[in-house]
Amino acid sequence: MRHGLERMLDLGLPNFFLIDTQPEARLSPEILTEACRQLKRNRVQHLRDTPTEQSVKILARLAHNWRDDLFPIRKLALAHGPEATGFSKPSLARGLDQFFGRITEESLHNLIAQDLGDSRRLDGPMGTPEERADNRTAMARGPELIGHITAGNLPCPTLMSMVHGVLVGSAQFVKCAEGAGFIPRLFAHSLYDAHAKLGACLELAIWPGGDHPFEAALFDEADCIVATGRDETLTEIQSRLPLGKRFLGHGHRVSFGYIHRDVLSRAMAIELAKNAARDVAAWNQLGCLSPQLFYVEKNGAVRPEVFAEMLAGEIEALEAKEPRGEISTEESANIAYRRDFFELRSVNTGDVKQWKSDGDTSWTVVFEEDPVFVNSCLNRFIHVKAVENLGEMLRVAEMTRGQVSTVALAAPKNDAEEMVKTLAHWGVTRVCPIGQMQNPPMGWRHDGRPTLGDLVTWTDWEL
Amino acid sequence: MDDKFTIITERVRAFIGGEDGDFDELARDLFALQYEHVEPYRHLCESRGVTPKNANAIAAIPAIPTTAFKEFEITSLPPNERTTVFHSSGTTGQTPSRHFHNAESLHLYETSARAWFKPHMRTDEVESIITLTPSPKEVPHSSLAHMFDIIHPEVTPMGRVGEDGKWDLETDVLDSLSQPDVGPVLLMGTALSFLQLADRLPRHRNNIVSHGSRILETGGYKGEKIEWTKTKLHEFISREYGLKHEDIVSEYGMCELSSQAYDTVAGQRGPRRFRFPPWARARIVSPEHGREVSLGETGLLEVIDLANVRSVLAVRTADLAIRHADGFELIGRATNSEPRGCSLNASDLDNRRADEARSRTHA
Repeated sequence: MRHGLERMLDLGLPNFFLIDTQPEARLSPEILTEACRQLKRNRVQHLRDTPTEQSVKILARLAHNWRDDLFPIRKLALAHGPEATGFSKPSLARGLDQFFGRITEESLHNLIAQDLGDSRRLDGPMGTPEERADNRTAMARGPELIGHITAGNLPCPTLMSMVHGVLVGSAQFVKCAEGAGFIPRLFAHSLYDAHAKLGACLELAIWPGGDHPFEAALFDEADCIVATGRDETLTEIQSRLPLGKRFLGHGHRVSFGYIHRDVLSRAMAIELAKNAARDVAAWNQLGCLSPQLFYVEKNGAVRPEVFAEMLAGEIEALEAKEPRGEISTEESANIAYRRDFFELRSVNTGDVKQWKSDGDTSWTVVFEEDPVFVNSCLNRFIHVKAVENLGEMLRVAEMTRGQVSTVALAAPKNDAEEMVKTLAHWGVTRVCPIGQMQNPPMGWRHDGRPTLGDLVTWTDWEL
Repeated sequence: MDDKFTIITERVRAFIGGEDGDFDELARDLFALQYEHVEPYRHLCESRGVTPKNANAIAAIPAIPTTAFKEFEITSLPPNERTTVFHSSGTTGQTPSRHFHNAESLHLYETSARAWFKPHMRTDEVESIITLTPSPKEVPHSSLAHMFDIIHPEVTPMGRVGEDGKWDLETDVLDSLSQPDVGPVLLMGTALSFLQLADRLPRHRNNIVSHGSRILETGGYKGEKIEWTKTKLHEFISREYGLKHEDIVSEYGMCELSSQAYDTVAGQRGPRRFRFPPWARARIVSPEHGREVSLGETGLLEVIDLANVRSVLAVRTADLAIRHADGFELIGRATNSEPRGCSLNASDLDNRRADEARSRTHA
């Protein structure tokens, strides 16, 4: 239903980008090549020498506008978003507010300083104290042209990549996944409106994934490719890249929550269930940072099964305020099939229990005593599993090792640090409070890597 | 208890034979027996508040998901009476679906299979029948091999189990087909077997089968990572074997069922719609609310199969189908949907279902 819809929606936007043209205006590799070259020329004229301070101000102001109900592009996003993205209006509004709320002048400066040592090092040579002691300075520059290959229907990762590209002064070509171009397109227009010259260094298009001639044209012109998607897709893309191209691939990741027994007093458990429900509802659980399941330690004041029931209550309450919205028949069939599976288990064994919405598939909570890691079929379908301790959890989740992004952790302060150390050594790249899984700070290191740090190239100046 | 099952088996057999009978009444009586004797099913019914007393309409009879056949023994037969068991195909190391039979229920299965095969394949118009599946002796747990073996008195099996355990073709299958005096033949097999056979065809020779030959394909790629649509498969077969589209018939079946659906009558043109026999009814239900969808809409396929006497008559599959007035159209499996976003979706459960999607359960 959603596929290709964004191209059909007449939003009354001017034709600034390839994505704005109707499908009958066919793309060709030649058009792509020319578009890429124009982007690079525009970058030299308008973006390369723009002071970081100015880009930061523009981005921060834009982010502020996106949170304003009167901002015309936000209005468009919320008016047409449910149809184009499948997210309900309240879910979309909350997701966008959270996302843009993170982008402030301060957070952008901090991000650059965190990754590059000083937020002015993109403008010219500048030394950190350590470098100065060594009598040298350095400046960083972003790629000439970043080619983004985006996946999935979650707009935030794509928007964040675009923000990073603007910060490091790169021209950007964003190839959106089919059915996932709606919000990136609006964001691009908002950037164009805010600063036409910055907008002129940006291009967006859609073509079916794996279209080699198109992608070859982009790969030839770009000097850095940032791709998200399935691991096989990334490997395949990488194999087609000409030598010398920088490749930043963000593959499959899963996330989950972990709750220590000492934070399971009744009052705390209710609070945790509220926050966990937020994590499940955010972007309908569809992102890498969304929880597949919550591990709950046994022997707390509130038993894991009781926590699961509390969570079901909270998700149900949230559903009334922020409905999940419609999903495809396939997605809905996945949920129905899984519900059958767990219903059958629950009526025949004592250690499985399921709570679910009546009359539709809008939410499901499955509790199991069996701690073995299980993937959710998403769209607000969450597992709760009982576990003895962190050690047992790591054993039963071994199959996900190396693919875990975020663990939302609720534990007493005294234990938390040790637990984080254990998780870090196990391979987890982000630990956050429950309720914040889909809300990483600006300085979040995606997949444990410095985001801007991986984009830039340094020029050292020895004095 | 066996008396009751024997009596109802005979009633179903008579119904299959065309004697007057009432589908709904048979379904309700069967449900009552199965409710009593198939424990995991009874638990499911109880949790949904459905009993033989209050299930007045057959729509109220709960359908058991096909995964139940993996997880539980969905049978009223005590272990010592189970003479045959059919397994779904799947990857080694994973529990397959299991459908248990005794002599009586197996006989009913055979009656059902033959009765609906005959009017669809019109075997009197071909001179020989070859199945590309191994013989039941080699694969005793394959319902497909069994079905092809009993479907007609003169079936020659030309399939075998290869050294790697995978299904393969006999080396002399081409010779059998290329004899000068071979007339029209009916070839039956999985989708994969027709790909395997095509690989062996000599180049520039697409008239390997004589004019008037027929093909019955059951889908299924046996764990191979091929997922062709029916259209693509039929185009391939038509091209490689030199047959008209209407000479290719698709069958839909699975080890969890005792009746099969066919999508056309051999040689007959027109839209393809899968249809079960009068003793089995398909229902396309919305995954959202479980009620039957309107005509033209997509949902999950459920089947009430009266020939499933010793298991459970109402089965919910993971197959998505479009409901039509004159049958249904398969459009894939629930599991084939790509999860949005980039989250992994490869749990054990999903792997199992993905494997099923690649190789239809019927084999």
